[in-house]
Amino acid sequence: MKKIYLMLIMLFSVFTSLNAESLTQLEGSFKTVPAIILIAVLLTFVLVGVFFRAKDPADYYAAGRKISRVGSGMAIASNWMSAASVLGMAGMMYGFGYNGLAYVVGWTGGYVLLLILMAAQIRKYGKYTAPDFIGDRYYSRDLRIASAVFTILISFAYCVGQFGGIGLMFKWILGLNYTWAVIIGSSVVLLYTLISGMIGATKNMQVQYVIIVISFLVPVFIMAFKFDYFWLLPQIGYGAAVTDIVQGIPAPNIADGVALMNAYGHDFAIVPSPEFAMPWDPSTGTTFFQWIAICFSLMVGTAGLPHVIQRFYVVPKVTDARWSVVWGLFFICLVYWTAPAYSAFGKLLSSNPDVGFLAKDAIVVYTAQLGGINTLIVGLLAAGAISAAFSTVSGLLVAGASAFSHDLYVRVINPDSTPKVQLKIARIGTIIMGVMVTVVALLKLGLIAQLVSVAFSMAACTIFPLFLLGIWWSGSNRAGAKAGLFTGTVVTIISITYFIVGLSGGSLPGQELISYWLNVWYFAWIGAPLAIIANIIVSLLTKPTPLEIKKFLAEQVHN
Amino acid sequence: MEPTDQYNFSIFRPRNLHGKKNRNVILSMLLIWVVTVFGFQFLLKGIQEPTPEKSLLMFESTWPEAVKGTLSPEDFQSFLRSLVLVRGKNTVKAEEQDVISEAITVAVFDVVPDSIRSDILLLIANKTRLNSELAQVKDQEYLNIKKEITEIDNTLIRFTEPYSGFSLGSLEATLLISSLRNEYPESLSDKAFTKLPQIMKLYLIHNQSKLTDTKFLGFPFHYFYTAVFLLILFIILCIVYNILIEWRLKKQGVIE
Repeated sequence: MKKIYLMLIMLFSVFTSLNAESLTQLEGSFKTVPAIILIAVLLTFVLVGVFFRAKDPADYYAAGRKISRVGSGMAIASNWMSAASVLGMAGMMYGFGYNGLAYVVGWTGGYVLLLILMAAQIRKYGKYTAPDFIGDRYYSRDLRIASAVFTILISFAYCVGQFGGIGLMFKWILGLNYTWAVIIGSSVVLLYTLISGMIGATKNMQVQYVIIVISFLVPVFIMAFKFDYFWLLPQIGYGAAVTDIVQGIPAPNIADGVALMNAYGHDFAIVPSPEFAMPWDPSTGTTFFQWIAICFSLMVGTAGLPHVIQRFYVVPKVTDARWSVVWGLFFICLVYWTAPAYSAFGKLLSSNPDVGFLAKDAIVVYTAQLGGINTLIVGLLAAGAISAAFSTVSGLLVAGASAFSHDLYVRVINPDSTPKVQLKIARIGTIIMGVMVTVVALLKLGLIAQLVSVAFSMAACTIFPLFLLGIWWSGSNRAGAKAGLFTGTVVTIISITYFIVGLSGGSLPGQELISYWLNVWYFAWIGAPLAIIANIIVSLLTKPTPLEIKKFLAEQVHN
Repeated sequence: MEPTDQYNFSIFRPRNLHGKKNRNVILSMLLIWVVTVFGFQFLLKGIQEPTPEKSLLMFESTWPEAVKGTLSPEDFQSFLRSLVLVRGKNTVKAEEQDVISEAITVAVFDVVPDSIRSDILLLIANKTRLNSELAQVKDQEYLNIKKEITEIDNTLIRFTEPYSGFSLGSLEATLLISSLRNEYPESLSDKAFTKLPQIMKLYLIHNQSKLTDTKFLGFPFHYFYTAVFLLILFIILCIVYNILIEWRLKKQGVIE
């Protein structure tokens, strides 16, 4: 840990040696100070990665089970808090009001499911990866392969949003166009993951968490203070800002004899805008059903994401698995309590028509800029957002590479491969996946949070039912698992097909109906229950689970 | 040979007393989780009422007269105010903003004298030119052009104030002049005429209830509940679950 502290001190000294500069435009130009901060932060990550690099496959996949509860909690939080949390969530609330809160609740409430239904049991089962568990529990090589493929696809879908977020921040800092920004950002994150592996990643995740939290929280304290809200606890103080948005603030807005203004000199004023806070407001184009469907899909998806489940293998004891969830959730909530404050301040600061339409996914950084926050701090915020995306991407790429090398290559293609070959295959898998994700991220298929939610729905329809029934019902057998996975896959394919056709301007039978009820952002609301039902029905009608599996579950997993 | 049903279990049919107690804890937690998250949203949905903003009432009471062109000066100001307050919402889509801006432009140019109208048109044309230059300049040049634009805005506000009632420095005045177009269409287009009442309804009716109108720690209560309280509750649920499970394991001497 001393090495980490030293590097943090080095990083801090770089920050303090820089002078603040003022920003006159939200976008478009190269920003020197944020660029230096970004480079310093990235260098720190690479150094941590090098110091704690993986030495063998066990280290690469599961960090040698050397991580403490709090450390694991930080890693869970850092691994979890992606560009979707730091950038996307505030953007959703900024653009869609109360419906954006479905993401806040969905991405935290899922941890309750994860804890009470999965964490300890997964640790007790004693497997490294999700396909390992599924292949073993359902005594099926086919299911192992299928779940490995889904692990890769889920990681892939999740990464697309992250690469988009990395691209946005690189674009903002470097003043490049989106395409080059995504290509440069993707190359850096790939390089880092290849150097470090998961043991480096786990240490790095702790450093990244600290950077994310500090960079994300500090601007909100400053803005709350500056605009006369309760700044000692801005996560509560912004409540008055929400009410101000609903009721409107007349101009000029004077506090202590000083007119409150944004960085452009516009009044800190707004017309009454109840649509920001009122539930499923018609003007936001969202509905009650969508709120419920998004929230449910994200919650269930949380408990089925392979790279999240995989984190429970790295804790030394079962009890650590449980408490690491609590720590992880607490660390996550620190950021999630704060994200809505960005959307509220963003709404107030961008209300002047001169500001124009702002990209929702960059609203966090724009808000800090419009709030007149020091460039140094805004730069740190952007670097924090990139850290969030980096930490998640590295976890996802490791999960995807694990599925590729450990579950497909070693178990299926070449069981006699040496650890050295396995590591090489994992790295090749990482590169292939990284390049493919970059290409898809360049297509800009949706907002960050929406893109990421595809991965959640996919996980909820495929992996989650297998884990839930695999752990909690000895009667769930191979045939049932296959039927459940098939059902989840069909729902996933239908939803994604309709989305792609709709996006390309085409139309299939029932296009409008399917696009609403089986929307690609939340199709798990029906896909997950259907997959569970199919699994149960087919399991009841087919040959029972072998005795040794039932015995193992009863004696090892459920004491 | 071991009997096959000896190891059969499910969450609803545990194998022993420990399992039963464990099941009760899990199901209780799940029930609390479901009711607090989804139950609250269903309650919110159940008691909501579509509630119009004051601006919609202003608009609806003045729209028929506006169509006939027989608005009194006071009603004109109410009508204009309702349009401006919707134009100021930054969730309004670009094409809908165009409709509202068209309505504002027609309304203002209808009431100002011809001489002022031509001055206003000239100023707006200048402002449009300066705005296009603004995108290509930086630093001091940027600030200079900004200053010129502000001066034009102030002049426009002074020109329109006697008719709109929006004084210099008010948010409504800023919104009004930013909505004015550099052409005088004389009357609303058919599209704008049809769409305007729909747009006003869309942006000025909200789902409200006692839960949204009650304030708690400065928040609308429902917002606090969802954005802050639920997250606290999730952490509490996790802590309580861990404590209960570990207490039970310890009591039964189980080492995991």
